[in-house]
Amino acid sequence: MTEQQHTAQEELALFALQALPKAEQDAVRAHVAECSVCREELARLQGDVALLALSVEQHPLPAGARERLLERIANQPQSASNVVHIESGKTAKKIYSSVSWSLAAALLIFSVGSLLKVGQLNMKIQQQAEQLKQQEQDTAQATRALDVLTAKNAQHITLTSAQAHPEPEGRAVYLASTGGLIFQASHLDPLPADKTYELWVIPADGKAPIPAGLFKPDATGSASVVLPQIPVGVRAKAFGVTMEAAQGSKTPTLPILLAGAAGE
Amino acid sequence: MFAKLLNPILKLLRSESGGTTPSTGTIADASDVALLESVAAGQQQAMATLFDRYGGMVYSVALRVLNDTGRAEDLMQEVFLQLWREPGKFSSGKGSLGAWLAVVARNRAVDVLRGRKPSDPVDEVILTSKMDLSVEIERGLLMEKVRAVMKELPAEQQRSLELAFFEGLTHAEIAQQTGDPLGTVKTRIRSALGSLRKAVEA
Repeated sequence: MTEQQHTAQEELALFALQALPKAEQDAVRAHVAECSVCREELARLQGDVALLALSVEQHPLPAGARERLLERIANQPQSASNVVHIESGKTAKKIYSSVSWSLAAALLIFSVGSLLKVGQLNMKIQQQAEQLKQQEQDTAQATRALDVLTAKNAQHITLTSAQAHPEPEGRAVYLASTGGLIFQASHLDPLPADKTYELWVIPADGKAPIPAGLFKPDATGSASVVLPQIPVGVRAKAFGVTMEAAQGSKTPTLPILLAGAAGE
Repeated sequence: MFAKLLNPILKLLRSESGGTTPSTGTIADASDVALLESVAAGQQQAMATLFDRYGGMVYSVALRVLNDTGRAEDLMQEVFLQLWREPGKFSSGKGSLGAWLAVVARNRAVDVLRGRKPSDPVDEVILTSKMDLSVEIERGLLMEKVRAVMKELPAEQQRSLELAFFEGLTHAEIAQQTGDPLGTVKTRIRSALGSLRKAVEA
């Protein structure tokens, strides 16, 4: 086989699956080593083979497997000449400390408290029942938002880009007991006209992701979702953001653009 | 009014998250590339994190092929020990680490099943994959999607693919077992992989 006579895709697929007899396997290997076209196609087919591996039912690890591996690792020195050739530029995903969240919560209490006082003064001045009613509703909503933000048992999640570059970022504060969710994103990419971003709650019980609001970024790439209508009492494993058609979707469309696991 | 009350809250959230480089991070959230760099530097915790991320997947693949929990764990341990000893065997130019581990685990499991020496060196497995399996949610959704596509394949394509992938049979052995012509088996396997790729990329 020469570079001009490429290996048939069927043969490459069988090679990727190691489903050729040894002599044919060796012949394909020799050709692929010399032929960039077939090498690229083989790499794509290996990607397909990896998909097959994902179709298997997932089983829990045997008890103690992790400890056994770590013990063996501790007793296995690495090769001194070990060199890793890795593309640079990818950084660890961001996560912020709980200390900064606590500080934010304290500042929020102060800020919202002050704003509430201003609101109360306005009510006294205006003395208009309609405005009062509206303000009470708003205050209740803000209080609820504050409750979510300051609750000790609220889950704080940082959603980072699932892609290589540190671009979009989201922050969610979630209180399962009330179904309260506040989400704020920044550095979002602009959307095509017929698309929207959609926020998802991924339940811890393995049930289907729950849509938690559509949003579009402003000119600075920022957007927020505040107290969307979602079921109360859903324990969340994670949160995600996808791009969907303008009317939104009932199930998330891959890829997940932002994702963050919910801590305990 | 609510918007007025809420804006400062969102502003605070935004100012805390935007514009600055985080000075802290946890290893559990590190990228595969960063973890491999740490593994190469001898950090056992990085290896533990990679195991937490992919151990279940590697074990499940091995178990599906070998149908024996003890042998599946042995194989899983060997795959991760090899990654620990020689992290340089994988480079990001070879695709997604998760996908690479899944293929290496499957290939090694088939070698064990068939009682043969490792037929291909691990650094021969180079794959193109857009999958980011490091994100658990994405991994889970992709698994669901692949399973759904597999169920939709014609029964004879499914059968040929499973015999090749999970039982490690050659195309001639599959033809013998199913009674189909060799050419038919080849076409079915190629078509099945093509359908899988198309459905996942859609």
